[in-house]
Amino acid sequence: MRLSLQETAKLLDLPMGMVERWIRQGRIPINKIGEDCYFKKAVLEKWALTHNLSLSKMRADQQETEPITTVSLRSAMDFGGVSHQIQGKNIKEVLEAVVSRNTFLHETNKKLLLERLIERENLTSTGIGNGVAIPHPRVPLQEAIQQPAISTCFLEKPIDFQAMDGKPVFVLFLLISTSMKTHLHLLSGLSLCLRNSSFITFLHSRPDQNSLMERIAMFEHADSL
Amino acid sequence: MKKFRPWRYPSEWALFRIDDRLLLIVIGAVVGICSGFAALLLNRSLTAILEMLHDWRHYWWAFLLPATGAAFSSLFLDKIVKEEAGHGVPEVIFSVFRHGGLLRLRSSFSRLISSWLTIGSGGSAGPEAPVVMSGAAIGSNIARFFALNERQRITLVGCGAAGAISSIFNAPIAGMVFSIEVIIGEWSAVNIIPIAIASVAGTEISRTLQGNQIAFSHRQFNPGTIDIVASIGIAVIAAVLSVVLTRLLRRMHTISGKTRMPLWLRAAVGGCAVGIIGIFFPDVLGEGYHSIRMIIEGVYPGGIAVASFLMLSKILATSLTIGWGGSGGIFAPCLVIGSFAGVAWHRILVFLWPTVTWVNEGCFALIGMAGMISGILQAPLTAIFLIVEITGSYEEILPLILVSTISTTFCHYFEPASFYLRDLVENRQLLRPGTDGRVLADLSVGDLLEKDCIVVGQQMLLRDFIEVIKKSHRNHFPVEEEETGKFLGMIQMDHIRPYLFDTVMYDTVLLEQIMEVDVVKACPDDNLNDILREMDTLNLFSIPVVDSGRFVGMISKATILDQYRKELLVQTTL
Repeated sequence: MRLSLQETAKLLDLPMGMVERWIRQGRIPINKIGEDCYFKKAVLEKWALTHNLSLSKMRADQQETEPITTVSLRSAMDFGGVSHQIQGKNIKEVLEAVVSRNTFLHETNKKLLLERLIERENLTSTGIGNGVAIPHPRVPLQEAIQQPAISTCFLEKPIDFQAMDGKPVFVLFLLISTSMKTHLHLLSGLSLCLRNSSFITFLHSRPDQNSLMERIAMFEHADSL
Repeated sequence: MKKFRPWRYPSEWALFRIDDRLLLIVIGAVVGICSGFAALLLNRSLTAILEMLHDWRHYWWAFLLPATGAAFSSLFLDKIVKEEAGHGVPEVIFSVFRHGGLLRLRSSFSRLISSWLTIGSGGSAGPEAPVVMSGAAIGSNIARFFALNERQRITLVGCGAAGAISSIFNAPIAGMVFSIEVIIGEWSAVNIIPIAIASVAGTEISRTLQGNQIAFSHRQFNPGTIDIVASIGIAVIAAVLSVVLTRLLRRMHTISGKTRMPLWLRAAVGGCAVGIIGIFFPDVLGEGYHSIRMIIEGVYPGGIAVASFLMLSKILATSLTIGWGGSGGIFAPCLVIGSFAGVAWHRILVFLWPTVTWVNEGCFALIGMAGMISGILQAPLTAIFLIVEITGSYEEILPLILVSTISTTFCHYFEPASFYLRDLVENRQLLRPGTDGRVLADLSVGDLLEKDCIVVGQQMLLRDFIEVIKKSHRNHFPVEEEETGKFLGMIQMDHIRPYLFDTVMYDTVLLEQIMEVDVVKACPDDNLNDILREMDTLNLFSIPVVDSGRFVGMISKATILDQYRKELLVQTTL
């Protein structure tokens, strides 16, 4: 495999000037055809090994995977769906009902998710105040789902969720993400909406999926400005 | 034209593509042959001019001969080839360190001509350093012709030097060792093999054309234990003389530099003084190998006083010749001084302990020569092998080793760097391969710049700045003037952290109020050594680099270490 100067500099994680100087000084193996030079990857790898230099192979791959993690809040909420009239008298029952309503998870994963959710609630409540709770597992469920989801679940009757402000919780946002990074990104986006008091009033009207999505789209639009 | 192309690029030939060491061996042999011829040329023409001028030496105005020769040599160097006076070896070493062995084509003959004029007319200097310069320049230019890289070029410069020394002394090992110990300063197989081949080639040229003659052959010496012990005395004497010669040479150079005369006139004054000394002691003139031959054969007539006087006047004559602008090396004068010192020491020993049977005075002369060479060059191996080879004797190897090492050690106390390296060390330009200085000199600030800092304007509000912090992954924020882009100062996260959580300050504080103005800055052309020293003294981890008032990037110890290590790995592993 032939490599150009730029590719070699990237592979060695070096500035171009340094590779150019190494060529001039004859410190790096290079193939010449007349005026043109190129590197052979196999030769370069062998050379790096004898010189105890490490080639940065990983770097290129990481940069490719990174953009996938930035999923918009709206698409996650759209994928998670909205459900009304969730029944249950305490946290455990409500969570059970929420998980059983789930449409995109496999049965075995549902069981796992429920265990994780209860485990998280036992640690501290996810009720963040103003009647809203964001239950989520502590560790992202990487293998269970392909894309992050936020399921909006309106309860039939508000219950005590041991929230910080003590107010009974009437809506749950079940947050399941694929990685810690997406988790934080979605949580931050969601909490920005929830800090807005008019949005809370809007939630009290228990909107359906379409009108909720419109509202979220408004937020995202304002944020990007 | 296309058809002839490949022969200019031998590194593309199938044979040499497998291993460039083969290429270096072949070209090294060519370089050795060429520099061998150059050395022979100088040697032959020196003999010719000495014979030619021999008849004139008896006239009263003969003292003007060295003056004329030195003046012409200086004029030639200064006006025609535009090079500096001196013997050339420091230039070769400097070019090996700094410019990858790049030397000018004209250097391959300029010193030959100028030293021919100086020495042939009677100036006290040696032909060896000029041929080293010439051989090195031949090697460098052959490398350039074949478009070789710097590492290969440096090896070929070493080949040229080795071939020249080998040829002029008929001493292959001395040539090899001199080239590696003094010129290249790095013992690695990659260098040694081509240099050895070049030495063989150079020696063979000299043997084919001049016959396999040993310069100072003599009858056998058998130094006993008492002689070995006594040789310690000569080591000390030789060391003192080396220090005196080195200092006097530099002193003369400074004195001549202070006069307002043109260069050629200075050289003429020095040559004139040498000529006057030569009226009283004709032995000091020229390279002086004739007197060495007499001493080694044990037929030198002079007593203690004459030998000591000659020794001192040779030192004076040499420093007058070279220090005032003549051209030539100090190898030959060192040998002469050393042999006089040896014979003088022998006379002293015989005078003090007449009953002891000392070895022949020639043996002490040999040992004295080794002491001088190793003292001046601070290269004990070169001295040992050179003396063994030019005298063709192995019996006195023990006192030779002893004297060379003692003399080198002793000289090192007074002169921390050898005669060749002293100027380079003083200018901090001695960059031996694989050393800290070498690695730092190769890295440049431009290669180490970190450009991921977000530049902010001086009139930005703290509230807006917090948005910038969210996007940045650095703790340093350079501040510039909005209109002109002029660098004003830095904002360090550590220093503003308390304000970041104070919402009252968000809309009241401008960045120019919280930035630091008197920050330590670096320039892209700065020496990395100086930057690191500044970082160490001020305990800084990274500093901004500012080029003509504009911020160009940060330079930090982490990046320096990263690149430094890579550079070191690449430079030290071959």
